[in-house]
Amino acid sequence: MMRKLIKISLALLPLLLLLALAPVVSAKTTAKANHEEIDIGISYNGSTVSVSGVTEKDVDLLIKVYSRDSSEQMKVKTQVGGFLWMNGQSVEFKDVPNVYLLRGTATVDELLDRSEQEAYDIGYAALAANGSLEPEVDPDQKTQLFEEFFRYKEEGSLYARSTGGIDLETDGQQQKYDTVFDWPYQAPPDDYMITVYAVRDGRVIETADAKLVVEEVGVERALTDLAMERGGLYGIAAILVAVSAGFGVGVIFKTGGGAH
Amino acid sequence: MLYIYLPVAHTSINILLPIGLGLLVGVMSGLFGVGGGFLMTPLLMMAGIPPTVAAATDSNQIVGASSSGSYAHWRLGNIDFRMGAYLLAGSFVGGLLGVQLIKFLREMGNADFVIKITYILMLGIVGTYMFIESLAAIRKGKKGEAEAEVKPEEKKESRMTRIVQSLPLQTDFDKSGVRQSAIVPIILGAFIGVLAAVMGVGGGFLMVPVMVYLLKMPMRVVVGTSLFLILFTCIEVTFLQAYTNHTVDFILAVLLLAGSTIGAQTGTMVGKKLKGDQLKILLAIIVLAVTVKIIIDVTSTPEILLSAAGGE
Repeated sequence: MMRKLIKISLALLPLLLLLALAPVVSAKTTAKANHEEIDIGISYNGSTVSVSGVTEKDVDLLIKVYSRDSSEQMKVKTQVGGFLWMNGQSVEFKDVPNVYLLRGTATVDELLDRSEQEAYDIGYAALAANGSLEPEVDPDQKTQLFEEFFRYKEEGSLYARSTGGIDLETDGQQQKYDTVFDWPYQAPPDDYMITVYAVRDGRVIETADAKLVVEEVGVERALTDLAMERGGLYGIAAILVAVSAGFGVGVIFKTGGGAH
Repeated sequence: MLYIYLPVAHTSINILLPIGLGLLVGVMSGLFGVGGGFLMTPLLMMAGIPPTVAAATDSNQIVGASSSGSYAHWRLGNIDFRMGAYLLAGSFVGGLLGVQLIKFLREMGNADFVIKITYILMLGIVGTYMFIESLAAIRKGKKGEAEAEVKPEEKKESRMTRIVQSLPLQTDFDKSGVRQSAIVPIILGAFIGVLAAVMGVGGGFLMVPVMVYLLKMPMRVVVGTSLFLILFTCIEVTFLQAYTNHTVDFILAVLLLAGSTIGAQTGTMVGKKLKGDQLKILLAIIVLAVTVKIIIDVTSTPEILLSAAGGE
């Protein structure tokens, strides 16, 4: 019985592999990132992500690099006593990605109907429409708060929109594309997605996906784990290093002073 | 090449920035006996470090700078260990209370506001007082009355002195040349401990005027003793921040230390060449400049009306 199960599994394996690769190989549009993994090491200061592939000839493109939807707790700054700005009411932005980089051969509004934007979560208007706020507010306030949210995210380099910067080259019936995103160092370790949309006449005609994993490695990983999981030990180590550095430099200066 | 990724702050920074900041604040530390947190924490925030990480990491850095400075002052015989021990006992309890307070404030979401207001009030009062007092002393000195005290001050402090003298546990502090009730430094220490934890500073800029004006210690001994105290207060705060809030960024602290330990030694050497009143007025000017900067920050309309909610 067991042997039979293994045999079936082995027979199904190629089929499963084919299914896993399906978005890339079966559609005409393909997407590939230059590297599927970005390692955050000690000298990490952001990276670049190059996305390339082929599409049908004469289509426009929208390329999205994003993290999965999550929620984010924010404070709305309010003025107190007519002159002091302080953090006021708490607002939770729900069903929005932490990182969202969008690039197109033209602007989203030029390329896509509003319903398509929302269906595929493409562009800030779509993110605002598909996202929600807790506590709920009236539509005007929601628009206003989401605008602030996008500005906040752009300020932190976690959101970006750009037009152009995609190299296109016609090759027979196909079109090759290639673009390079600046990957912000502010983007935390996470699993990210890349989706390429082939667009024509205001509609998405095809999509292709690729993955991007960002993770801490080496010393960075060890320190983060230690700080989060063994705070006491981490604290003692930090203190010992600081005290030794202080006295160490003191002794060096004393020696140096004695030489005069 | 010069960039380094900070694992707890989750951001990348040019190595030269924290080393330079450390050097600057370290010099002040050796010169005035302050940890320099009141300057460092806002500067780190400007460099993109989250406020809570900036405050906690700065405590860690102060441990290094004040070890370096304490050692230098100890060799010069500038530390009153007895006075230090009483102040320390008070500030230890104050530190424990302060860390709990900041945790509570963070849950309320008002931590940043409270930190800012505390800064403004404390820096403003201390800076103004020190500035006026040391300016008056310098003017007197120029008139050839270096020994003369400022008259209004004497009147103001005599009532305080009477209350203090009536307290029990009167103790001789030989190094500082004063006789005080042990209760006074303990209470003052506790007050400074709370503020140190809330503001993420060593409390030096509060400790220095407290010792000069309330405990009547000579400036030379004040600087050494203050650094010695800051060392212990910040060891405690660093541990509690690392253990409770996980906000100490070790790599950032090491970079700051690279500058501040050397700066502290340099500051001590420069300090030997300056007079007490010159030191006081310099410190007062720096304190007032920081106060003005914070007031501008809090009162000008923010560019973005949202901020990340505090807490983990």
